[in-house]
Amino acid sequence: MRGAIAPSALLCAALGLALAFAPRNAWAPSVLALLSTVAALTFVAMPRAWLEGAFLGCWISVITTAGSVQLFAKVTSRAALILAINAGAWSSAVTGLSGSSLDLLKALPWVLILWPASWVARRHGQIPIKVVSSWLTAVAALSIALQLLPVTPGYLPDHME
Amino acid sequence: MTLREKGTGFLHLAGWTAAALLAAALPAAAHPGHGSMSGFAAGVQHPLSGMDHLLAMIAVGLWGAFLGRPLIYVLPVVFPTMMVVGAVLGMFAVPLPPVQIGIALSVLMLGSCVALAISPPIWAACLVVALFAIFHGDAHGKELPSAADPVSYSAGFVLATGLLHVSGIALGSLTARPIGAITTRSFGGLIAIGGAWFLFRAIRT
Repeated sequence: MRGAIAPSALLCAALGLALAFAPRNAWAPSVLALLSTVAALTFVAMPRAWLEGAFLGCWISVITTAGSVQLFAKVTSRAALILAINAGAWSSAVTGLSGSSLDLLKALPWVLILWPASWVARRHGQIPIKVVSSWLTAVAALSIALQLLPVTPGYLPDHME
Repeated sequence: MTLREKGTGFLHLAGWTAAALLAAALPAAAHPGHGSMSGFAAGVQHPLSGMDHLLAMIAVGLWGAFLGRPLIYVLPVVFPTMMVVGAVLGMFAVPLPPVQIGIALSVLMLGSCVALAISPPIWAACLVVALFAIFHGDAHGKELPSAADPVSYSAGFVLATGLLHVSGIALGSLTARPIGAITTRSFGGLIAIGGAWFLFRAIRT
């Protein structure tokens, strides 16, 4: 089975990088929004048929969230809130559907990258954060390609198994 | 302190850290017989296990640092982005010109650009790096589908690639010091010589 930790952890990390570009007073409401969304959706049962869509949505969210860091010099409070709710929704969807809600406990702390990222952005400029966010975008784009791949990905049994 | 100085200062520090981490990983990369390609460690290992990949990544960072802002951060962003395009082409088995020759040429050209202190317009530098990134991505992409944990594998090789760029930037930041430009250009020259050797081997086989 595909692990849900990686996509949700990378999404939380991307959110952390985006929050580092948001005003400080937007941090707490955004993290709260993330946790509330996760808490609310953990109890919602989703059909298994949504699994592929959930992974795809999660990776697209990683690209969107990391892209907001690359494209803009600042993330507004409202945008931070929307990104946080979005991250919470897709993270709980992939972890819930892949049958391992406890994975969220490993993924959510990645949002705390916002503190070191904010420190780096303040002291050394935005360049390092933009470069790191481009790495997240690259991983997400590759993962989407793998999902659409016509050959058997390594995590699925092939005709020999 | 300007934004560029701030950015390069951090990248300098991060670069030496990255170089140390990557150097520590090299003995593991040289150890054969790990079986199937899987997971984060295999992804990290992949760009480090081939000298041609490794030198090209370092050359990208080196050239970016040599050219200064904005290319110091644009090139390390362009490379992984276009590497993804190359990887997707590789996964879908889209035919490309001989990849090994493309990779060898990338080492030769990027090393030469640093050695000869070539300063093209921004778009041209991006185009050169983007073109070569496709060849490197193609090589990675062809191995990706067989990875048991492709997401971790992707994360590993993107991270290793990025850290190699940062190492190159750290080397390139020596340019600001006395005799630094000569040192940086010498590194470029050594990379270009390596590229010429890879090209010779690729053409011969």
